[in-house]
Amino acid sequence: MTTDWSQVSDAALVVAIGRWREDALAEAYRRHGGAVYALARRVVRDTGFAEEVVQEVFVRLWTTPDRFDPDRGSLRSWLLAQAHGRTIDRLRSESARRLREERDAQRTADAGYDVEREAWDLAVADRVKDVMADLPDGERQAIELAYFDGYTYREVAKLLDTPEGTIKSRIRAGLKHMRADLIDTETGQPWHHS
Amino acid sequence: MASQLSHADIQELLGAYAIDAVDADEATLIDAHVAECPRCRGEVAEHREAATLLSFTGAAAPEDLWSRIAAGLEETPPPLRIPAQLPVRRPAKRLFAAVAAIAAAVIGVLGVQVVRQSERIDRLAAISDQRGLDQAAAAAAVTPGARTVRLQSNDGTRVVDAVVLPDGHGYLVRADLPSLGRDRTYQLWGVIGAQTISLGVLGDHPTITAFRAAGPLAALAISSEHAGGAVAPTTSPIVQGFLTTT
Repeated sequence: MTTDWSQVSDAALVVAIGRWREDALAEAYRRHGGAVYALARRVVRDTGFAEEVVQEVFVRLWTTPDRFDPDRGSLRSWLLAQAHGRTIDRLRSESARRLREERDAQRTADAGYDVEREAWDLAVADRVKDVMADLPDGERQAIELAYFDGYTYREVAKLLDTPEGTIKSRIRAGLKHMRADLIDTETGQPWHHS
Repeated sequence: MASQLSHADIQELLGAYAIDAVDADEATLIDAHVAECPRCRGEVAEHREAATLLSFTGAAAPEDLWSRIAAGLEETPPPLRIPAQLPVRRPAKRLFAAVAAIAAAVIGVLGVQVVRQSERIDRLAAISDQRGLDQAAAAAAVTPGARTVRLQSNDGTRVVDAVVLPDGHGYLVRADLPSLGRDRTYQLWGVIGAQTISLGVLGDHPTITAFRAAGPLAALAISSEHAGGAVAPTTSPIVQGFLTTT
């Protein structure tokens, strides 16, 4: 049976992965590997580690696809949540302190690495950028420090000299605003496939 | 630090929790809460969807990385994945539910076509009576529309092959299972829709066996039960497999 996996929903891909279809896993990688890699690389500025995370996340999808529950969100958000958790663990580990300092120093130089995008991708990325720009500064800053820099909300509160309660509310409200803005637009999510 | 959190406390933390920005002890408490609270679980899922957009760059993963991942997959003999998540409390029930869920999805996605071939089945039944089960099983294997399914153990060492005909008649054609002893029996289960149904008590050393499923079979599994069998599986499957559509 030859299947054109590019026409198959993410949920169906996972079912096929459950039946040991390696070509289905390859398609999942084609769709989402870039995002997983970009996230890991952005959080820990270490190409080798980012690749390890991608590998780990996709091998886990291969060995335990039943852990993905399509009722609880898209495949991409599941893969990214796995990758983010793994990356943050690494960032917070004692051995990574040095890495974090180096990364902070490198931040400016690396700011524009994600330049190769197709036209559609560019439109989405621009829209995401717009939505982020529309967020109140406090919300955007709290989310970015937590999500990309790996700080806990308590650490963010200290960094910004703001009460902890304010920071956790800003993170929650900011994510809600983003979701409302982005998901209600025509942009949609090409990777959702279901 | 956070030995206890109220529902309101937890709700306030859901955004930070969704992006891994809570302390480890808080994460543990929220993990437990979210597992039980559908509303909070839903909110976390929504936050993660929003965070997904933050990660969007449109860039592809490194080209050579997939080949490395694929090479790694080949080195690992495929374990059966459902038992990898063996639940602690009520293994069999939840496990079979997981099999049923995946099987239902397989049916939904691939649209298993069930075609009636009653004439052929009647002939096979006659063969079965006259010349023995093994010949009927052999005939079934080459019947157009027959689906084969390999049931395997987690470590791949136990293998049972089955053939299922379009009307639900089936045969275990090869059973590589060790003898269980007198007080235990193997029992065959079929997943039909969301239900797990007994397809027969196989004895402690099964050989070629006939069975019949009263509906579109999506998966088969064999468990070890007390002699006499059980109305529902009480242990995790020893072997299991999903039906293919070809």
